[in-house]
Amino acid sequence: MKLLLVEDDAPLAAEIAKALRAENFALDHAANGEDAQHLGETETYDAVVLDLGLPRRDGLTVLQAWRAAGRTVPVLVLTARDGWSDKVAGFKAGADDFLVKPFRVEELVIRLRALVRRATAHGASRVTCGPLSYESGLGTFERDGLPLKLTGLEWRVLSCLILHKDGVMPRSQLIERVYDGDADVDSNSVEVIITRLRRKIAPARIEGVRGHGYRLLPGDPA
Amino acid sequence: MTPTKPPAGHAGAIGHEPPAKPAPSDRPGPPPKPVGLLHLGSLQRRLLLAALGLVTVALLVAGLAIGLVLHRFVRTQLDSRLDSQLVALASSLERGPGDRLRLDRALDGPPFDRPRSGWYWQVRQGGRTLRAESLQGESLETRNPRLPDPSALGGSVPGGPGSARPPRDRDPDRPQPGDGTGPWGEALILRIQVLPAQGDTPPALLIATAPAKALNGPLREAGLTLAAILGILGLCLVAGTVLQVRLGLRPLEQLRRDIAEVRAGRRPRIPGPQPAEIRPLVGEVNALLDQNAANLERARTHVANLAHGLKTPLATLTLALSDRTRDPDGRLAELAGAMDRQVRHHLRRARAAALGGATRTRTELAGPLADLRTTFGRLYAEKRLALELDLPAGLAVACDPQDIDEMLGNLIDNACQWSRGRVRVSAAATEAGIAVTVVDDGPGLDAEAAARAVRPGGRLDESVPGHGFGLSITRELAELYGGGLRLTRSDLGGLSARLLLPA
Repeated sequence: MKLLLVEDDAPLAAEIAKALRAENFALDHAANGEDAQHLGETETYDAVVLDLGLPRRDGLTVLQAWRAAGRTVPVLVLTARDGWSDKVAGFKAGADDFLVKPFRVEELVIRLRALVRRATAHGASRVTCGPLSYESGLGTFERDGLPLKLTGLEWRVLSCLILHKDGVMPRSQLIERVYDGDADVDSNSVEVIITRLRRKIAPARIEGVRGHGYRLLPGDPA
Repeated sequence: MTPTKPPAGHAGAIGHEPPAKPAPSDRPGPPPKPVGLLHLGSLQRRLLLAALGLVTVALLVAGLAIGLVLHRFVRTQLDSRLDSQLVALASSLERGPGDRLRLDRALDGPPFDRPRSGWYWQVRQGGRTLRAESLQGESLETRNPRLPDPSALGGSVPGGPGSARPPRDRDPDRPQPGDGTGPWGEALILRIQVLPAQGDTPPALLIATAPAKALNGPLREAGLTLAAILGILGLCLVAGTVLQVRLGLRPLEQLRRDIAEVRAGRRPRIPGPQPAEIRPLVGEVNALLDQNAANLERARTHVANLAHGLKTPLATLTLALSDRTRDPDGRLAELAGAMDRQVRHHLRRARAAALGGATRTRTELAGPLADLRTTFGRLYAEKRLALELDLPAGLAVACDPQDIDEMLGNLIDNACQWSRGRVRVSAAATEAGIAVTVVDDGPGLDAEAAARAVRPGGRLDESVPGHGFGLSITRELAELYGGGLRLTRSDLGGLSARLLLPA
């Protein structure tokens, strides 16, 4: 899962980034409104963490611009202003959730996972596919009721596939959502990760769709 | 961040905090004690007293002046009457046989024929004397020893006969005035003429008198009429002044009421057309109000900026401390949490203290409630709450939209936190105002906990993250608007919060 973090305060951005990466999220960072708007309009993200008090372009303006451009990415607004009027204004501009500074990392992570899950049309917090299940509240995977140990990259790939289990996940999008913006993307390594995952999640399996992408399937090939 | 109770005495201290703004009142305070008669406390009194004094002085002066003119006029009338008698006497005087004085015709016509009337005449020449009948043989010299003796006269009259007043007019051809006393003690007005000696004719002294009451009687009568007229005039002037002062000061009274309205928050500024004399004052007061509002706004912005400025580093600190190696026993995170609560509390108080003033607008409830439903639908998306709205169309309250968001947001948020699935918001117009009721199907509150919840600074449950001061803030805001908040048990089983707002 890949997030866009928009926060102009460098120390806070660093702390949030550190905390989110520790929770296996891939992350792009924008420190002002203009960069944020550009990234949000051109890249694919599973969710956005948006601070409202931004230099160059106000957070609400950026959000409205995304919504006007048809971007439906779930946005969690992060702000120091906790009046209900501020929140109402945020939701009217198209925010999906609201978190008031200061906040706990757990709170942020839980809300982000829930946002991403709801955005992929999964109502319940537990998403299952055959023997495989994903608990979005905790961000953990189980196979046949037993916890599954995954690396960060493996978690990103598998959470992507399970949340989009009803369709084919394009390879390019999968790559976008797995690697950080500044990471050295080696397309082969996706294949490597998929191979390792296939061993861990059997009998569930990942089907490669030639020239298109990957799909998570619950069990034996039909 | 481990939720903790606020420091001991915290809530109490807030509870006893004096209200930031005195209750608006239309009545002015007790008037300051008068220092003197013309104390500054009452313009009306000053103006009335000054007018009364001036009118009195003016009327007195006018009365005296008119009295003097009248006196001169009556006196002149009398004098000319007496002078014509003297002319008649002088012209009809002739010397009879044996040096006897006589008149060639009778000159005792009325009023000189009435005995002791004060209307007398007397002629002396040489050693002889002629008198009016009214003197009944008495001599005018009896009581006026200083009348000049014609035998000693060299053709001129020395001083006034009865008084020490020196004669103003030394023209011997003209009669001289004088005062005197009649033979029976009556006060007299005299005209004296000396006919100088001519050839062998010795000088003659002619005197004509009128009673002083012939002067004083008409004067007294005229004086009484004059006093009555002046009195009525004075009363009219005073009444006019009172009316004028009342009318003139009415804009001031109106201004006082306008300022009271401003203080009570029913008007933002002192309104419209004012008399030219008051306009600068109103301008100054309005400028003061604007300045006050600007200062308040600046202070609020400062507080808000300070609080918001603190929140970002506080957020960084909180995140950094979530690393257990940096804060093994959680004490630092606890401190950061306490700082956060303080910042939020004072930020809310700063916001609430500045409200309830001049910013009353009619706001329809439907708009804010629809927005709040969207907001809470997303905020509590995980709970999948059913937020039901039930309010008549067009229902409006006299509150600032931001305050409505704040009050209802707190109530609905509290309901959503505790609810098991249903939250219902209903509104209706009552006699006391607009009642908005937020009910939930949560565990509800007993009476003691409900009382604690709306206490200033009180928070219900420290373990539920977020807005611990919500209910008490809502109550404070509602009371600033003259409404209130009541917590009871709802028909859904949970809490029912009834918010009363002005219509």
